[in-house]
Amino acid sequence: MSEIRLENVTKRYESVVALDGVSFSCKDGEFFTLLGPSGAGKTTTLEVIAGLKKPDEGKIYLDNEDAADISVQDRDVAMAFEDYALYSHMKVYDNIAFPLRSPKYPEKLTKAQEKEKVEAIANRLGIGEYLDRMPKQLSGGQKQRVSLARAMVRKPKIFLLDEPIAHLDAKLRALARSDLKRIAGEMGTTIVYVTHNYREALALSDRILIMREGKVEQIGTPDEIYNEPESDFVANLVGDPPINFMDGELKKDSETTVFEFDKFKFALPDDLAKKAWASSWEEDGKNIVRLACRPESLTAAKERTSDIAAQFPVLVSERKDEEILLKFRVKEALIIASMGQADDVPGFEEPAWVQIDLSKVYFFRKTMEVSAESKRG
Amino acid sequence: MKKKKFSWKRVVFWIVLISVVSLFVFPIFWVYVTAFKTNAAIRSTSLAFTPTIENFVFLFTTRNAQVPLLNTIIISVVSTLLVMLISIPAAYSFARYSPSGNTLLFTTISTRMFPGVIAAIPFFLLFRDLNLLDTHIGIILMYVYFNMSFATFLMYGFFVDIPEQVEYAAMVDGYSRLDIIRKIVFPLAKPGIAITTIFTLIWSWNEFFFAFLFTGKVAKAVSVELSLFWGATQIQWGAMAALMCIAMLPTLAVAIFLQKYIVRGLSFGAVKG
Repeated sequence: MSEIRLENVTKRYESVVALDGVSFSCKDGEFFTLLGPSGAGKTTTLEVIAGLKKPDEGKIYLDNEDAADISVQDRDVAMAFEDYALYSHMKVYDNIAFPLRSPKYPEKLTKAQEKEKVEAIANRLGIGEYLDRMPKQLSGGQKQRVSLARAMVRKPKIFLLDEPIAHLDAKLRALARSDLKRIAGEMGTTIVYVTHNYREALALSDRILIMREGKVEQIGTPDEIYNEPESDFVANLVGDPPINFMDGELKKDSETTVFEFDKFKFALPDDLAKKAWASSWEEDGKNIVRLACRPESLTAAKERTSDIAAQFPVLVSERKDEEILLKFRVKEALIIASMGQADDVPGFEEPAWVQIDLSKVYFFRKTMEVSAESKRG
Repeated sequence: MKKKKFSWKRVVFWIVLISVVSLFVFPIFWVYVTAFKTNAAIRSTSLAFTPTIENFVFLFTTRNAQVPLLNTIIISVVSTLLVMLISIPAAYSFARYSPSGNTLLFTTISTRMFPGVIAAIPFFLLFRDLNLLDTHIGIILMYVYFNMSFATFLMYGFFVDIPEQVEYAAMVDGYSRLDIIRKIVFPLAKPGIAITTIFTLIWSWNEFFFAFLFTGKVAKAVSVELSLFWGATQIQWGAMAALMCIAMLPTLAVAIFLQKYIVRGLSFGAVKG
């Protein structure tokens, strides 16, 4: 049993608020991911769970026991640090064996037992041949795996993994990702995983917590996070190419609601209209709402496909894997639409028709600025 | 093997190198040669001489040079031990807890920012009143005062270089603070501690000004003894050079030792990159 519960945890560093009333709970055996941009407070959350930092306010419960009374050494957590934190004066072998030699380790291992455990995890992570080396003789990716091996050599109640595969190269990262998922499944241990990479989060997690400036933005399954984002921030964080935002005007035309953004102008079905009005705000006497749609539900074509399509000049066209992506600059925003597998791709400044799939749009309040420049790409 | 091509660049390089090295090494060479000469040989212009140990015999029989030598050993070793005993925990605390935003650290190092001579008179009066003049304990306390701040400051740099995350990792692995200091911090800071110890030791060993002012007979240091060969009527070159030979040995040994020991990079493997 190893449940984690945070209640209203606040942590300040001098004037900076790193965590601001964070509450969540994480079930036994769950793969729980903290996702957010750098500086969102992800690492600090791990540190307060581990007991390395004391929260200024709020409570942390481990298996319903107030963690304030439990020392770091007694919490029985294993942690992999983003910047490895290897013991540089010890060989890789001793680094990995270090937790096994701790006074807190439940049993005293013989040299042979220790060797067996160290070699098993090292081989599993593909660093078996480096056991005799010193950390400074390893590459960044190898060091990261040593750090991961040191955390995984024992079977703690909780794993806290801080960007454990961020410094591996792309191929190795994909491999490590599926490995991690498998190991996690086998061990059945609660894992709190920190990443800024949404793909990792979606691929690995049972549930994801989105963090923003020290606060919880949304908690949900990967499916909920991707398909039902609760704010523009979440929608923008997840997905590549990034989701499109259009801050357009809502108008009441007799009984129907019309959404208008530059050349886009179309009536909204009743259920969408309700959502749109609920998220709208007033600006210069107009009702504005932020419409969001993923590039895959924004289709572009040379010919007009429907009466709600609008025509824009192409800024740039890009090939992404199988499909062609067209980018447009509309007002302040950079709009990305998918063109499928077209052969005849419109060039710079040539017009293309863009159509929104209304069954896959979201309406949000504006909680962040989105300009073409600041948009993730 | 192919013969290296003759080049003027190499000739100039070697000429410059040899002249610079001779400039630095000649005084040491002179001291060691003079120490093994008779008085007559010292005054002679001839380069050839028969080595003798009569100067050393004179030092340790007539002159009792073992007393100031022993004094210096006691004073520098004990003061260095005390300095390290205070400075290691102090520097570690400054590095990890930064009390008062490290203004305290600055205040500590500021004790070394004025010329020592300014402190001489108040210290002299204080030591006189406390009956510490010409005592081992007095001069040891003096050296502790002067070296403590320097040693703390030097070691602060070494401790700060050890990433805090490494200590966090060890805590999570189940080790207590004391275990961590013993198994992680100390091994990582070893080069720093070694260098600081050596600097402190050498400073105390060579110190002349305060030793000259604050000691006379009982706690007389070797550096003071050396100055006493310089009489009103004559200079005892041979005996002075002989004692210099001995007094210089620790510094020379350290110079050779430090060459390979100044390896500060030990803690750099711990962080990314």
